[in-house]
Amino acid sequence: MTGFILRRLLQLLPVLLIASLGVWAMIFAVPGGPVGMIVGENASAEQIQAAVERLGLDRPVIAQYWSWLTGALQGDLGLSIHSREPVLDLIAQRFPATLQLGLASIVIGLVIGVPVALLSALFPGSWLDRALSGWSALALGVPTFWLGILLILLFAVQLRWLPSASAHVPFWESPLDMLANMLLPALTLGVYVSGIFARFLRASLVGELKADYVRTARSKGLRERDVVGRHVLRNAMLPFVTVVGLMMANFIGGAVVTEAVFTYPGLGRLLIQAISTRDYPLIQGCILVILAVYVVINLLVDVLYAYIDPRIDYG
Amino acid sequence: MQHTLATFRRVLESKGALVGMLFLATVALLAAFVRFLPIDPLEQDLLMVLEGPSAEHWFGTDELGRDIMARVIEGARTSLLTAVGAVSIAALAGIPIGLAAGFFGGWRDAVLMRLVDVLMALPNILFAMALIAVLGRSQMAALVAVGITGIPSFARITRAQVLSLRKRDFVTAVEAFGGSPGYSMFRTVLPNAWSPILVQVVVLSSVAILLEAALAFLGVGIPPPTPSWGEMLRTGKSYLYEAPYYAVLPGIVLTLTILSLDTLGRRLATVLEDRHGAAEETGLEEEGT
Repeated sequence: MTGFILRRLLQLLPVLLIASLGVWAMIFAVPGGPVGMIVGENASAEQIQAAVERLGLDRPVIAQYWSWLTGALQGDLGLSIHSREPVLDLIAQRFPATLQLGLASIVIGLVIGVPVALLSALFPGSWLDRALSGWSALALGVPTFWLGILLILLFAVQLRWLPSASAHVPFWESPLDMLANMLLPALTLGVYVSGIFARFLRASLVGELKADYVRTARSKGLRERDVVGRHVLRNAMLPFVTVVGLMMANFIGGAVVTEAVFTYPGLGRLLIQAISTRDYPLIQGCILVILAVYVVINLLVDVLYAYIDPRIDYG
Repeated sequence: MQHTLATFRRVLESKGALVGMLFLATVALLAAFVRFLPIDPLEQDLLMVLEGPSAEHWFGTDELGRDIMARVIEGARTSLLTAVGAVSIAALAGIPIGLAAGFFGGWRDAVLMRLVDVLMALPNILFAMALIAVLGRSQMAALVAVGITGIPSFARITRAQVLSLRKRDFVTAVEAFGGSPGYSMFRTVLPNAWSPILVQVVVLSSVAILLEAALAFLGVGIPPPTPSWGEMLRTGKSYLYEAPYYAVLPGIVLTLTILSLDTLGRRLATVLEDRHGAAEETGLEEEGT
């Protein structure tokens, strides 16, 4: 198992290195470059010289990248140009909110998606299957930001049951407040996720139901409930774990649109703010952290998959 | 050509695909001839601000008194042009990458596919935002950003096709007769790999439209005053209490466009798979379709 994890890590290394190089080099592509960003456009020659020396820009490019990378690996992502606070602190403040939203939407996605997939796979070709497949198509086709707007219109503007802008309330502080704030954004993302889950799980269930072991189980006289519950579902769930994991990885940064609809204070919104204020250290930091989390979750999913599927040889 | 027509006819045999096609055709026609219509997406009327739908303004007016329907039609132009441009960029870069990676294999394959992995290591929307942060906000930046995010899917699908075709007799035959790698790649392998690539073109068009709208919604897409569906939803969201139709109507058109493309894409995939399967059973391979 250790060997398997190490091998996967080794494969990830070049991807991470090239990606980090891209994030680092981003700053040089900006008009004015890293110096102009700090001293402004109307700086004197001395100011520029001082900034160049302070930032170490007179050193070889490789050395500059190396010190940036080693700094980043130790948690030093620099200071935000705007607030002068350490970038890592700003990110750490937003991270729990994003994580909470991601988890909540995956729960909603599972609650809707798994029954939809089960029902349509058990009655393939029926009217029920067609209706539920229609649901999946709709869930995937409706843009999340528009669905979010519709939900705000209904629940906040018309019915006035829920707030139109969502704050981050930790669960342990006030579960009810958390629910009120999280429900709309989580539902918006959850509907989309349910579409992905339903489509994927249905395909995998339909495939499993045709397998020989299902015929054997049925011919033994096993109840259909046991055939599906004990055999088919277990096998179909295996590849599904990957999809759920990838979804979570995607939400760390990919929930940016939903966060914007509900002005939810997550990582994605921090990044949009950073982009609109041209706060490049913060942009770099956000992207680097999102990238790292994305890659780590991918690795965890691979490892988990190999662990729960005895057929995969990871020795 | 005959096959193309036959495929087209088979696709439209499904009611869903037919409705989707009709909707897309209407949107495209309106967008193409918007200049000849008696509506102006930029004309302001400050006495008619945020008016609800009426006989004069079917979709109502926005915060500057502009006709929302005219802006939705003009926005369709933006969306469709982005889709065409972005998918072209993605295909022109992605297909050769996948072709070369699958054809040559070895270290070239490893290097090319790792580069593709890097592109996939960030969610599309973040990659596009980062690129726009560097390039500055412009129509070109949005187009290029959306286009680049589409490269990996073309590269991967083409590579998978090439790998399955590479060892087939007709490719070996061309090589045995002394065909250059370029000739076998572009004239022998590629013509047989079109089906899934074609499906990908349709799928990616809907992804591109959605991504462009999302970028505009976040305020980093195509800059105003060019009307864009995402930008309209963004502004409309500020007037949910006064003018709920403002954010609802453009959203309906956007959603119907996405759903139409999705339906068409899935139908096309089914038809092409069927045809491929049938050809395989009768032992007839269709080359050059």
